Amino acid sequence: MMPPKTRPVRSLAVLLVLLLTAIVLALFIGPVADASSIIIWRIRFPRVLMGLLVGAGLAASGTVFQGVLRNPLADPFMLGTSSAAAAGVMLAGAFQLGGYSSLYFMALTFALLSILLVYRIAQIEGKAPIQTMILAGVIVSLFFNAAVFVFFSIFYRESFNTLFYLLGTLTEADPTLIGISSVLIAGGLLVCWHLSRDLDILTQGEQTALHLGVEVEKVKKILFAAASCMVAAAVAVAGMIGFVGLIVPHMLRMVVGPNHRTLIPAAALGGAIFLIVADTLARTLVAPIEIPVGALTALVGSPYFVYLLRRRQRYGQF
Amino acid sequence: MSFHLNNVTFSYRNGFRLTNLSLEIPSGSFLGLIGPNGSGKSTLLRLMCAELKPDSGRVLLDGRPVSDFPTMERARQMAVISAEQHFDFPFLVWDVVAMGRFPHLGRMRKTASTDDEIIREALRLTDVERFADRPVSRLSSGERQRVLIARAMAQEPAIMLLDEPDAHLDLHHQLNIFRLLQRLNQERGISLVVILHDLTVAASFCKRLALLDRGQLIRHGPPSEVITPEIIQSVYGKDVIVFRNPVTGLPNVAIGDGS
Repeated sequence: MMPPKTRPVRSLAVLLVLLLTAIVLALFIGPVADASSIIIWRIRFPRVLMGLLVGAGLAASGTVFQGVLRNPLADPFMLGTSSAAAAGVMLAGAFQLGGYSSLYFMALTFALLSILLVYRIAQIEGKAPIQTMILAGVIVSLFFNAAVFVFFSIFYRESFNTLFYLLGTLTEADPTLIGISSVLIAGGLLVCWHLSRDLDILTQGEQTALHLGVEVEKVKKILFAAASCMVAAAVAVAGMIGFVGLIVPHMLRMVVGPNHRTLIPAAALGGAIFLIVADTLARTLVAPIEIPVGALTALVGSPYFVYLLRRRQRYGQF
Repeated sequence: MSFHLNNVTFSYRNGFRLTNLSLEIPSGSFLGLIGPNGSGKSTLLRLMCAELKPDSGRVLLDGRPVSDFPTMERARQMAVISAEQHFDFPFLVWDVVAMGRFPHLGRMRKTASTDDEIIREALRLTDVERFADRPVSRLSSGERQRVLIARAMAQEPAIMLLDEPDAHLDLHHQLNIFRLLQRLNQERGISLVVILHDLTVAASFCKRLALLDRGQLIRHGPPSEVITPEIIQSVYGKDVIVFRNPVTGLPNVAIGDGS
């Protein structure tokens, strides 16, 4: 008997082709008038780049959270990590805390704080049941959402851009932000991919993982930090875009299987495709009016979440 | 690979204590840990696999405190099948068993053909070969238990600790599991420490038994010396009777009429 055949390279190649297709479509869909090259390269290209970056970061961090928390319903938005990072960004902006470094520092600190909070609240006698985890996520995300709206009403009440940012959008392309976030997301991806075998084993339970040779506490901390870093970087450029980290890993797990060595890069590619397509829809559906892409992903994501819950109740598995 | 527990004491915050426990488990043992619920069997097992650290006394694995082993090295010597089981993700049976190679391969090294051979052998011995390309979440609880034993075997350990490997299994599957454990012990020389509740099964398969009650080791020895009417009744109550099975000659435990 041979080990079961998997074709990770082929799956990833297919996803890459789909991503390139999505990029080309996103660049050329929509009216361009006569200054076509300017619209395509100055306006649409940075947007596509952000979609790629943010989609990859959110989907990969969702994959990692799901594995570490052993909860296929975990998602940076549902867990409150995104709102926490957004609260950090707003606070840094409001106090003019010395530019980009403080913005990322605050976003990352808040994101890490929120995920540790969820983890602590959800644990009962060393275990974190799936339902409790979701509830803890809801509570933490409500808390940070409230903080976001407090900051909004004190510091930003006149700013329509901030409101759009909070709803999740790819319209504001700041090259420096894109640059820093690219580095952070690429770094986070590499770290998580490097630990993918540990992550596979962590899904079998923490005690089990310990007895299989995984340094559970250390690996968990690194993975939380790397995933929070990706969320913070995504939120810093695009605000709160929900459900990418829920839908994409789940769908790809059905296609490429649960092994994280393949799943993490696959989810990153899939997240990029998903968000680029979603953003193209967001700007063309009711053109010339734009819908915040975060609102669109939530409209699709919520029913998908319900479907997953139902499926689990029926089959005991996701 | 031998265990040496020397005057081990451990207490939980809720007041439960395991007191002054000393136990020798030489290489090649097949030791059953028995005792009523809350007697300290699982606590003892968790001390042995370094999930808990004793308040005082020492737990030595081959003369070295078990908590001093680096995680990877310990996993090459000792496999643990705890009561905790998660099957939330659709890993294939092959993949689950392959996780047992982690302490040998580490993070990045690819599985070589020798690893595949070890995995195949583990699947074959536990009789789950035909499920290899199925998601483990689709198997019955008896099949899953065998997959977990296969994964433990893939670690190539010198000693295996098992917490109620027969929980939720019917008689047929229970016997299958214990026959398998017996073979691992006899043919591979793997030392076994097993928590179990069925005293008749304990007497039939284990070479030695350790009986615990309220955090103390009551008796340690071959089954015929531990499963006696006096000892068993003093721990489990007068309703339990012990008799010699006329076919096997081994002690059996049954429910009496309370007189």
